[in-house]
Amino acid sequence: MLIYVYDGSFEGILTSVFEAFSRREVPDAILPEDGLQQELFASYSHIQTDPAKSDRVYTSIWKNISDDALKNVYHTFLSEDPDAATLIYRYLKLGWKMGSKVDMFLSNDTVFRIMEINRRLGFEVHRLKGFVRFRQVGEGIYYSSISPDNNVVELLAPHFAERLSDQKWIIHDVRREIAALYNLKQWIVSEFSAGEIPDATDEEKLYSKLWKRFFTTLEIPSRSNPKLQRQLLPRRYWEHLTEKW
Amino acid sequence: MELMDKLTVLADSAKYDVSCVSSGSSRKNTPGGIGSGAAAGICHTFTGDGRCVSLLKILMSNCCMYDCAYCVNRVSNDVPRASFTPEEVAAVTINFYRRNYIEGLFLSSAVVRSPDHTMEMILKAVSMLREQYRFNGYIHIKAIPGADAVLIEKAGRYVDRMSVNIELPTNDSLKLLAPQKKKEAILGPMGFIKERIHETNDYKNRFKSTPSFVPAGQSTQMIIGATPDPDVKILRLSEGLYKRFGMRRVFYSAYVPVSNHPALPRTVRPPLLREHRIYQADWLLRFYGFKADELLDDKHCNFDTQLDPKCDWALRNLHTFPVEINKADYLLLLRVPGIGVRSAQRIINARRIQKLDFADIKKLGVVLKRARFFITCKGKYIDRLEASEDFIRMNLLAGRERLPALDTGYTQLSFLPPEPSPFKQLGAPTAEDMAASVTGEL
Repeated sequence: MLIYVYDGSFEGILTSVFEAFSRREVPDAILPEDGLQQELFASYSHIQTDPAKSDRVYTSIWKNISDDALKNVYHTFLSEDPDAATLIYRYLKLGWKMGSKVDMFLSNDTVFRIMEINRRLGFEVHRLKGFVRFRQVGEGIYYSSISPDNNVVELLAPHFAERLSDQKWIIHDVRREIAALYNLKQWIVSEFSAGEIPDATDEEKLYSKLWKRFFTTLEIPSRSNPKLQRQLLPRRYWEHLTEKW
Repeated sequence: MELMDKLTVLADSAKYDVSCVSSGSSRKNTPGGIGSGAAAGICHTFTGDGRCVSLLKILMSNCCMYDCAYCVNRVSNDVPRASFTPEEVAAVTINFYRRNYIEGLFLSSAVVRSPDHTMEMILKAVSMLREQYRFNGYIHIKAIPGADAVLIEKAGRYVDRMSVNIELPTNDSLKLLAPQKKKEAILGPMGFIKERIHETNDYKNRFKSTPSFVPAGQSTQMIIGATPDPDVKILRLSEGLYKRFGMRRVFYSAYVPVSNHPALPRTVRPPLLREHRIYQADWLLRFYGFKADELLDDKHCNFDTQLDPKCDWALRNLHTFPVEINKADYLLLLRVPGIGVRSAQRIINARRIQKLDFADIKKLGVVLKRARFFITCKGKYIDRLEASEDFIRMNLLAGRERLPALDTGYTQLSFLPPEPSPFKQLGAPTAEDMAASVTGEL
């Protein structure tokens, strides 16, 4: 068994793909360094991330396969699926053979899994567009915390940058300790750990109370269906929802 | 009255309106403004009954002058009354929006003093949001039947969606339960809104700067189970509304008992399963190319509660099946029970690359449990199957506890304390069913 080990970055994956082709090898898996478990009968090859090589792969994806394929590959990386890199490698290999038609090859396991991962990630982004809850912390700054399954802050940021363009906001991914920050002009993603969060202002208290009351009032008791609620609004998101505290 | 109390009263009065849709409008934010529309709609949270909350759904006021038997806010009902000022509505909307609690506002109102006065109040709140606060989020308002066309026209320029509730499916029912409302008064504004939308679209083709008019279209709602109208009447009415008035949505709400009016049925619980079947049929009308008359006719005038409308149709039309997965066109694939819009599209794409087998289509999301009786792959059935109605019906229902017959609201009295039933009561649709009614996949 041949296993490539990369540094955990997107460039690392693309470099690994490049190396597999240039060395004329077919790795059985491509795994990140973090949390690597050594197997007995496997030979490991550590791949040195090289921007020049990853750039070549990057260009070749959108030139020779399609823009969609590039998006799929990047989103698969963001999903942090344990098999992400291996899947990307197999998907690209097939993609360079089939061209842009590769996304239609749903009866192929690799393509199907890539599509599944993308669907799940897209669904989480869509959900979080609704489930993010801001609270005012100080003059005109709004803070929100999330802990999503996929690494999606950078996909959420453009949505809020358009929508809430006249307020400063922070979307903090507590699990990954990163955050999207917006300063009225542009947004960036950076490492972030929230220190002390100041007490809620009076205005904030009023509106969060109003919202909680509104939420509980809306329920029609004779139609009660908590199972359906949990299916549409899974428990793992409740921790960060104002109305569920 | 405190803002908190007002919100409680007016949200409580508005919650029986089903619509909470925020889709269909992709309004862009303006420089210095706040908010944008998302064409797909965004749900912000879900209440304990599993309904989506995406809009701040409130009434301007619940001091109604009408006395409709089915409604909580009727003048003869003893409930707390409250009214918002337009300033309060605007402030709450903006502050909720800034915290991403909501996608926009759904403003309705009981008829206060006169339809015109009510419409003016709504218009004032909406124009304040758009002009003063430069709010570009979603706004849905009710057009008050009987209000002046000029007011409706003005409001239509500000909002994304407007709706007029048809409430009850027939004129007779309306006479019985809402004697002050006339069918003409309801259909009038609908027709007006439809014409304006047409006109605006027409202008838009020629002049780019045409101001928008109700870009997310209009919708309506009717109550299921408050009157003895059969499903076929409801479905035909919906079909007519979609065709003649270009409705985006017709909503159905199972009648929740809110009064003891002698003309109303004494239901113990709302007919949720019936509502669910009608929603399923509604989706068949809109996305699956079915016609109302195919699903129900005068002989067969109510939906089978045990089978979904599509299975029911398929069983009565066995001559159309089996369908060959690798050859059938899109519309035919859609007619197979267990194949929805998404899996049909996937099949169409995937079979361009490779002939599909049962294992493949299962992966694509086809529900083989239902579809297996109606399809072949590469000319073969999945198994030895009998193409008879009884056989298929038995198999479709197997492994599922029998659903109870339509809830009549009557229960047998017993001398003994109630024993736990050996069968799980399936009165309410399961979570899966409800999810299907939201996503539209059967």
